[in-house]
Amino acid sequence: MDPTDKVIDVVGLHQRYGDFEAVRGLTFAVREGELFALLGTNGAGKTTAMETIEGFRPAASGTVRVLGRDPHRERTAVRPATGVMLQEGGLFPDLTVAETVDLWRDLVPDARPRAEVLERVALADKADVRARQLSGGQKRRLDLALAIVGRPRVLFLDEPTTGMDPEARRATWRTVRDLVADGTTVLLTTHYLEEAERLADRLAIMHRGAVEVAGTVAEVLAGHGDRISFQVPPQVPVAELPRPLGAEPRVAVGGGAPVATYTLTGQGGQGVQGALRHLLDWADDRRLHLAGLQARSASLEDVFLRVAGHPPVEEDHR
Amino acid sequence: MNLTVPVGPLRSRPMLRLARLEATLMWRNRTALFGVVGLPAFFTVMLLVANGNGNTTSGIDAVLYTGTGDLAFFLLPAVFMNLVNVYTARREELTLKRLRSGPLSDAEVLGGSVLGAVLLYLAQAAVIVVIIATALGGGLPRDPVLMLVAMVLGAAVFALLAMALSGVTRTVELAQLTVMPLLLLSMLASGFMFPMDELPDAVRYAAAAVPLTPVVEIVRTAYLGRDFTGTGDHGNVGVLEAWTTCGPALLTLVAWVALGVWLARRYFRWEPRHG
Repeated sequence: MDPTDKVIDVVGLHQRYGDFEAVRGLTFAVREGELFALLGTNGAGKTTAMETIEGFRPAASGTVRVLGRDPHRERTAVRPATGVMLQEGGLFPDLTVAETVDLWRDLVPDARPRAEVLERVALADKADVRARQLSGGQKRRLDLALAIVGRPRVLFLDEPTTGMDPEARRATWRTVRDLVADGTTVLLTTHYLEEAERLADRLAIMHRGAVEVAGTVAEVLAGHGDRISFQVPPQVPVAELPRPLGAEPRVAVGGGAPVATYTLTGQGGQGVQGALRHLLDWADDRRLHLAGLQARSASLEDVFLRVAGHPPVEEDHR
Repeated sequence: MNLTVPVGPLRSRPMLRLARLEATLMWRNRTALFGVVGLPAFFTVMLLVANGNGNTTSGIDAVLYTGTGDLAFFLLPAVFMNLVNVYTARREELTLKRLRSGPLSDAEVLGGSVLGAVLLYLAQAAVIVVIIATALGGGLPRDPVLMLVAMVLGAAVFALLAMALSGVTRTVELAQLTVMPLLLLSMLASGFMFPMDELPDAVRYAAAAVPLTPVVEIVRTAYLGRDFTGTGDHGNVGVLEAWTTCGPALLTLVAWVALGVWLARRYFRWEPRHG
């Protein structure tokens, strides 16, 4: 990577709250015009890292550069080029949507017209509604509007679609994609893996304050293998499950019947096909029905589970 | 998180914009409006009601005494109580943090609210000046520059104290309580309404250290052209003389500004506490 190409450059960042070290040696870089997603469970240090990069606090150790400058010490130089969407809050409850956007238009240089901003976040019909009366998802969209009013070169989105219904989430993804297409560099945190899979040029999975895995989605998934799973037929003891191409079954008891999963690595594209043939022959020979049979490539969730030890979604907000 | 140094530039345009925002938000928040405008309005009406009752305080008409005191006292509702509310509410609703994420410097974000509060205070004071000059027959300020210096220094002190106090005020509701000690102390011990002349020396020395006291003394002295400082004999003072007479009170105010800066840096918080 050409060093001048790094719009965001984080090297060996540490950050602590009292005795708790929230970020421990975080290193990653974001290139001009790309969307980079930081994934991790709550407590992985995403928001602490994000707020340090946004310039809210100095790095305890390590270096952070945004557009080549220290975002905390030189924040009056950096801020006009950045747009920030915080993880929560930050709207004046008694201002209407239009008044809120107008306030920010007056505060940032070279503001976009209000109509354009509201159009982009699909809030044009809510212009006269006070912020306190908006739904959670509408508040997030208004917050996104404020982040983009100043045509930022670098956009920070901290869990931008939390609290949105699926339709609003898709609309927000379109908005973000359009911004990236216009050349905006985006750093995004999320715990929706689908969001990262859909939007990110590159991503990093954080665990316990540092990056565990990073790269393009394909790079991150590479080496994590393809998966075949089915419900273990009741008459088959787990110990007698076959080992197609040497793969060991992992048996998990979910909602009802135990499910056997094979992870196939190292056989290239041939793995799934060969292993499936082996399994189907085995089932035919014994006249077994393999309920819920699936074959698929590794997903981000599989990688995430390997890294973090538990699924990313479904945690409550602090 | 405490105030960090340097706080950055101070541009008037964004600060005026935030001051306008404060006016809009206050107008829409009737509780805040009542506290910030209602209390001064009550004191103003009291001046008109009590006018001509013939009482004297410290050798002058009691209503004129209180009226010149109001010019200083309105710092409490318009600047101090107002800003404790504003900073506490903004911190808890995360709008302080949100504004700080934009291109404004920390000083501009905080200063916009201060500017709004100070303009409101000056407007309220202007009403009192008109009442003193007309209904009370007290004339116009003899030394408006000295009076304005004291009012602006006083505004700085109470804005800084509001920043510090907001940092230890968990919610807007609690702000009604946390402002009380300084409010009561200012009402009783500053001499704005009740003179300190007859009290024992120890009490008068203590009262001189109350942050509102030097503002009251200077404003009254500058308005009436008579020495109403702590040790004053209420005799006439010329314009230049008033500055030297008020020297100790001005120094007290400057000391309060310095202490206020230290307290604000120490206690002000941009974000709610974790957990």
